[in-house]
Amino acid sequence: MADPGQVAVAQPPMEPDRSGQENLLVCLSPSPVAIPLIRATQRLAAAQGAKWFALYVETPAHDRLPPENREMVAQALYLAAKLGGQAVKVSGFRIADEILAFARENRVSKIFVGKPKARGWRRFLGLSLVDHLIWHCGAIDILVVSGEAEEAAPPQAATAGSKPRRLLKEYLLAVAGVGLCTGLGFSLFPHLALRNLAMIYLLTVVVLSSCLPPGPALFSSFLSVAVFAFFFVPEYYSFVVANGEYTMTLVVMLVVSTLVSGLTARIRHQVQVARRQERQTAALYEMSQNLTAINSLEELLQVAAEQISRTFDCRAGILMPGKEDRLEIRAGQAYEDEYGREGMVAKWVFKHGHLAGSGTPTLPNVKGIYLPLIASQNVIGVLRLETEQPQRLLEADSLRLLEALGSQVGLAIERENLFRQAQTARLQIEAEQLRNTLLSSVSHDLRTPLTVIAGSASSLLEGEESLDSETKRDLAQGIYEEARRLDRLVYNLLEMSRLQAGEARLNQEWYVLEEVIGSALAQLDPQLHDHPLRINLPTDLPLVQIDALLMERVVINLLENAMKYTPPGTPIEISGRIQDRELLVAIADYGPGVPPGQEELIFEKFYQVAPGSQRGAGLGLTICRRIVEAHGGRIWAANRPEGGANFHFTIPLLEGAPKLDKDLEEL
Amino acid sequence: MATNPIILLIEDDAHIRRFLRASLVTQGYELIEAAAGKEGLALAASRVPDVVLLDLGLPDMEGLEVIQQLRSWSNVPIIVLSARGQERDKVANLDAGADDYLTKPFGVGELLARMRVALRKAAPAEEGKPEESYSLGNLRVDFQRRLVFRGREEVHLTPIEYKLLSVLIKHRGKVVTHRQLLKEVWGPSYIEQNPYLRIFILNLRRKLEDDPTRPQYLLTEPGVGYRLRDE
Repeated sequence: MADPGQVAVAQPPMEPDRSGQENLLVCLSPSPVAIPLIRATQRLAAAQGAKWFALYVETPAHDRLPPENREMVAQALYLAAKLGGQAVKVSGFRIADEILAFARENRVSKIFVGKPKARGWRRFLGLSLVDHLIWHCGAIDILVVSGEAEEAAPPQAATAGSKPRRLLKEYLLAVAGVGLCTGLGFSLFPHLALRNLAMIYLLTVVVLSSCLPPGPALFSSFLSVAVFAFFFVPEYYSFVVANGEYTMTLVVMLVVSTLVSGLTARIRHQVQVARRQERQTAALYEMSQNLTAINSLEELLQVAAEQISRTFDCRAGILMPGKEDRLEIRAGQAYEDEYGREGMVAKWVFKHGHLAGSGTPTLPNVKGIYLPLIASQNVIGVLRLETEQPQRLLEADSLRLLEALGSQVGLAIERENLFRQAQTARLQIEAEQLRNTLLSSVSHDLRTPLTVIAGSASSLLEGEESLDSETKRDLAQGIYEEARRLDRLVYNLLEMSRLQAGEARLNQEWYVLEEVIGSALAQLDPQLHDHPLRINLPTDLPLVQIDALLMERVVINLLENAMKYTPPGTPIEISGRIQDRELLVAIADYGPGVPPGQEELIFEKFYQVAPGSQRGAGLGLTICRRIVEAHGGRIWAANRPEGGANFHFTIPLLEGAPKLDKDLEEL
Repeated sequence: MATNPIILLIEDDAHIRRFLRASLVTQGYELIEAAAGKEGLALAASRVPDVVLLDLGLPDMEGLEVIQQLRSWSNVPIIVLSARGQERDKVANLDAGADDYLTKPFGVGELLARMRVALRKAAPAEEGKPEESYSLGNLRVDFQRRLVFRGREEVHLTPIEYKLLSVLIKHRGKVVTHRQLLKEVWGPSYIEQNPYLRIFILNLRRKLEDDPTRPQYLLTEPGVGYRLRDE
């Protein structure tokens, strides 16, 4: 092989990787040789610690390959990716040029190719891929690997029955085109010079090439030159050419027509590729658009299944491992699995990460096509497709699009799973912190009343004789009051955890606010004696739709709060009015007010204005906020200009509040 | 009374039984105790108590089931002891035939008041004898003339309001569920019309109470119903 140092000067791009790391490239062909080739490359790469690529150049010929061979390519690329290589597919015409361009771009130092087959005219002309590579490789080493032991029947043998028929039709079309042109030629022959007649043939070749594949197109160019020479070039009706000038004409015509047919075929191929890519890009774009606006895994699967079903006009479903790792259909079309075969294929696909099912070479005896949904690390699920013509989906471009969509969905699922895991972890941490705060906060608040209760009760027991009746009464009263306090605290804690867990369903009915406030006042009755109450509720307030028990809790907590932070004897005011289609309730006190800047903080869980000094777990206002917001209202705190705190909350006024019904009155 | 009223307490917690025993026996009741539903039902059949106090969290049976079984053969007043936050259960129990309920924790005073009401209901002497009047605080109802007075002043009530008040007086001291009130005042097809009941109660309070927001007579039992204060 060439001396790398020497060529490096002449051709800088071919300089080996500066990092000193070797990059290897294995070129794949649609034959079983690809597999041993990949393994050989992988072994060498592993030994050298090199990075390696597996490259398949997709030429126009790829589309005409039988599905088995296309499948071989897909398998080979998949294997390469699995073994740690980077699998790449590129489109192009000249395999050797594409390989070399890729190799230079990726600073490849060694290229592995399969040993060419002995037969074929290109071999004798030195035109095989290997020869071409060796000629143009520059500093890159070319390693030819034989895969003879595993080389199976040549791909041609497997060609499906429909292919030759179509090919035959295309050749006949070429013949017909040239025949038509010849007819035209005869009618114009008297009026046109030979050169211009040749132009008509060239035109025919261009037209035919634009609608025929390269083989028949090339055939049409040869045929037209032959027919032209036979009918219109003297000697007429013979291939003998009368003079040198005509020979020149024919040679030029042949060269031009073959070039034209080749170029036209190329353009056609590029148009096809562009169209296919556009379709794929559009589908991929749509999918990524759809997958971004997703809230849950279920929705994601649903959207993905629907879009794949729409794009490919088939029944699509997504299977993912559920309980005991059994694959379950999670979105899309359900299907019948009479003998459990579908499930087995799905399981196989999930395990091996490889396409299988109807129409494929692997496990084809089922109704569905199964495609692995591959995330970054592993197979995450299986995409199931069912259609009457599985071959349609297994065409090269459909399959490629399916694979791309599959990996997009796989990655989206993975992302969603990771997101949920992160969320769960965050929630756990939050719950943990909550528990800790709760424990420290609550243990203090629980212990204080318990200490009073235990102390008073034991005093009563010990001093049965010595205590006078008034002291006994005081102690008993203390026990009773502290027990009530404990009860409210425990109730708040339970309520909080119920609200937190989202268990508290609102049991909304039409209520009179006055009654709710009255019932709250009745529950606080003994404590309220220290504070004169001023209640100012208009008599014509409309009914509100609320959960009365919860709303009562809001009023109780706000009143308790007011009593707790204001000196005895100061009044508490309760007022209500309608404002902007809301019922605005205010509970104001004449105490020290909320410390400025803490108006929002006090609604935070466990927040206490002066920790330790007052009783309560710091949950009351948090519960109020949760309840009010669950009703669609707002709650906030402010200080009155003349001093004292003012808590407001709103309840939305809804249409259709019951009014006094005449029927009910007159019954 | 010639003999002490017999109270059957069905409650699985020994501490609660102990404190109730202490309070009730000193008040002159005879207490029999059961720690489970089946035992309670058997005692109810053999001892024929005057009042049953039934805890809702029994180990062997749902409280509702105990009530239903008891009611299948007995009219004994049942007072349910339940925890806060079980309003639906309370209503279900009351509708199944329980007479009243007490929310834990409760004071002995409350319990004794409920029991007095329950025992009065059980006393056969008052049955069948139409009352002529009823008074509570400064309220007075003259049933014969269908007049209601607040102090010396006559209060004008609509027919429905008067009916509502009479039903509450009939059950005075005892909780009456929304359903039961609607059924007795308006009729069985109105049992779902809670909002209307609330409007009528509101109006009644405005006519009868000194401070309708802090009612002294017509008490709200949150989530369950109403109770007319008795003493």
